Amino acid sequence: MEFSELQRQSSTIAHGYHGAQQLVRLRSKSVVSNQNGPQFHWGSPPSEGGEEGDSGPPKDLRERPMTMRLKRAIREVQQMRVPVVTSWQSWKRSKAKSLSRFRADAGGVMSYVALWRKALHKIGGHFGGGVQSYFMFLRFLVVLNFLSFLLIAGFILIPSIVFRSTSTSNMTVDDTGPEVCNVYDPNLQGLVVFYQYFLDLLSGTGFMEYSYMFYGYYNNTVAESSGFHYNLPLAYLLTSVFYFAFCLICIITRMGSALRVAVATGSGAAGSYSKMVFTGWDYGCQGDRATKLKQKSIHYQLQVDLEEERLQKKALSLTLGQTVGLCSLRIFLMLVSLALIGGAFFGIFKATVFSQAQVGAEGILGLFWVYLPSIVITTGNFVVPLMCDQIALFERYSPSTTIIMALFRSVFLRMISLGVLLFTLWSQITCFKDSPKCELCQYNNKEYPCWETRVGQEMYKLALFDFLITIAMLILVEFPRRLFVDHYSCALTRWVGRQEFLVPPNVLGLVYGQTVVWTGALFCPLLPLINTLKFFILFYCKKVTLFSNCRPAVKTFRSTTSTIFFLVVLLFGWGLALVAMIYSLAQIHPSMSCGPFRSLTMMWSIVPNTFYTLSLTTQDFIFYMGSQAFSIPLFIFSCVVLCYVAALAAVYGKSVDLLKAQFKLEGRDKQFLVKQIEELSREMGVPTRDQLDTFDTGAAN
Amino acid sequence: MGTTASQLGKDLLSEYQELTFLTKQEILLAHKRFSELLSKEDRNLTSVPMEKVLSLPELKSNPFRKRICHVFSTSDMKDGSLTFEDFLDLLSAFSDSATLEIKSHYAFRIFDFDDDGTLDGGDLEKLVNCLTGETEDTRLTPEEMRQLISNILEESDIDKDGTVNLSEFQHVISRSPDFVSSFKIVL
Repeated sequence: MEFSELQRQSSTIAHGYHGAQQLVRLRSKSVVSNQNGPQFHWGSPPSEGGEEGDSGPPKDLRERPMTMRLKRAIREVQQMRVPVVTSWQSWKRSKAKSLSRFRADAGGVMSYVALWRKALHKIGGHFGGGVQSYFMFLRFLVVLNFLSFLLIAGFILIPSIVFRSTSTSNMTVDDTGPEVCNVYDPNLQGLVVFYQYFLDLLSGTGFMEYSYMFYGYYNNTVAESSGFHYNLPLAYLLTSVFYFAFCLICIITRMGSALRVAVATGSGAAGSYSKMVFTGWDYGCQGDRATKLKQKSIHYQLQVDLEEERLQKKALSLTLGQTVGLCSLRIFLMLVSLALIGGAFFGIFKATVFSQAQVGAEGILGLFWVYLPSIVITTGNFVVPLMCDQIALFERYSPSTTIIMALFRSVFLRMISLGVLLFTLWSQITCFKDSPKCELCQYNNKEYPCWETRVGQEMYKLALFDFLITIAMLILVEFPRRLFVDHYSCALTRWVGRQEFLVPPNVLGLVYGQTVVWTGALFCPLLPLINTLKFFILFYCKKVTLFSNCRPAVKTFRSTTSTIFFLVVLLFGWGLALVAMIYSLAQIHPSMSCGPFRSLTMMWSIVPNTFYTLSLTTQDFIFYMGSQAFSIPLFIFSCVVLCYVAALAAVYGKSVDLLKAQFKLEGRDKQFLVKQIEELSREMGVPTRDQLDTFDTGAAN
Repeated sequence: MGTTASQLGKDLLSEYQELTFLTKQEILLAHKRFSELLSKEDRNLTSVPMEKVLSLPELKSNPFRKRICHVFSTSDMKDGSLTFEDFLDLLSAFSDSATLEIKSHYAFRIFDFDDDGTLDGGDLEKLVNCLTGETEDTRLTPEEMRQLISNILEESDIDKDGTVNLSEFQHVISRSPDFVSSFKIVL
């Protein structure tokens, strides 16, 4: 009895197990097929997304990974169910539909208008995302400079031209200072030697000095005619300030989307192998050459990472003595590189002082003295990173750390060298050592009768020299190198090889050029226009050299993180220029002999002066806005909003962690259940899954 | 159900616009290129054989080209031939505006060389070989391959069953910001 019961039990269990096995297999298959095929509930009402207008259901359909046939069938079913809606809702839906269609058409038009779209696509296909991100950054800077030029032209240049030609202006002459401070003679010679024009063009003196190019030409006109009131000095100041704010907004907006993605996805260190393998291929690669190069670079990357992992495992097993030795070596080499950078700074300081002392020298030698700071800066920027690279070979960091260290050293060097130049200029102008030169006019009026123009000229020279050096490097180094390597094959050419397009140094060059423009824009209003032309020509030159002379780098850059890095470095430059501008506006006495601020003690004082001419009610209102009664509640309110947003972010982070843990638990549950079933089947003497499989396949055959 | 007429009808065009991520210009360009592939063959054919599709310059040197054709093909003979609608599905999944979910879903199917719904060791090995090149001197050594596959499984196999399923794959993809911009084919 018991035995038959047992048999029945075992048979039911066996049947149940068989059924359960089938179920598990079916479920795993269906889970698999469900994972591969999308879920669609045919019975679901179409008004799920109906609240958002008609963008709901169609977008839903597009996002489902189904074949076109299935999607069309679903759409027909959805459309057959005409939901009962009011005329207001149907009107809203049709309007939303036409709006989305309009947006799609506008997007199509914009993509035609976008500058250099095809060129960027071609570059990305042949050289990868890293090089393409450099060119996209260059395009962003061209557009930024052009828009800035339009801003400056609209508010400063055109009114100036108009006022000068119609002379409806009244210039206020300042009689408060001593007479000698008002003297400014920009050497308007009649006939000059012909090559003097060329030298003047390169250094911004002569015919260029007293022109719309530089600060000294603008007058402090306040135009009043029949109800139209235009205060040019105020416009000059506010446009400069707004120009900085505008550039900041553009950079932050561009960084915003990339940063959001980077923060959401967290650190890139974890999961790097699976990421590289699953997302490493660039489907935009076209042509056999580009594909082979991409494959080679992926191969190299994988090998390097596997090698690094092996080295790390070995490094963990270093003894204490070896670790101490390595650390002390690294500290020593860091001090050596800092000493190199410090030496470069000292050289720039001395060169600037010397160059300023040589003002007035004639001819080519004079031009050389005038360009000496730029020459020293460029030499330093070229030589010091090379030496730091050699030092880095001994530091024995991992390859990725080495690249980051080299980049930070270059950034530091470039930005601070520019800062040293500005510092020496300012110390000359305002006589830091309290020499008697500055007592009379609060600035060094003997050597700098119009010091703003001189600073503008320095910045103009820096920008121009940078451009000339880049073009010279292209013509004199890169093209010959390619010809040399292609036509002669010896050990030397094989070691040197073709030029590799290194993205970080090129980007630093762009950031340096842009920082120079920002620093000089207050003193040389046409500098953004010059920079637009410079970057525009640079795009084509770099593209030509990329395609004819360069081979793609084997070690490529990640495009999203590199975009963020470029913009962060650009922000450093912006910050440096901002400090320079604030110092000029608020600390130094403007020249009394030239420029729109000649009657003021400080450039910023035009704003309070104008403020007090406003009506009393406006003044009271603005005072109220700045008073405590308004600002403290505003501050408290923004704190509350900040706390709310921070709490929301914390909650999202926690829910992501919870979901991850749940996912892990479910996997473990599945494993546990399958193990249970196998144990149970073993106890009952029921054939295991493998045996069943062979039985099935045997039966099928 | 591709069209052999030289022009696409207006409602068909708007229907394709709603069902895919492509813009009107992209659909028209796709139609033009697809018709060029068909033009040398019989006019009555509605699907293009795989070899012709692989002659497109955008796909010619892609190491995953055969898998792409197999994944998007709806033909019963499983020969990788594409109709015009399959072609549009392909371009839609690889387009600029396709979502991450669609792209990761199709990427998973492309990498699943044996079509069993999970990425096991064999799939991963074939995938890595496609990435590094098929020739002998571009492959990783067996040592390195073993180390790499064990690293990948350790990182992405959350439920420790020895394979990577779709959700684990999508989890890895979601942490990579470059995927959407690199999983792109534009005519």
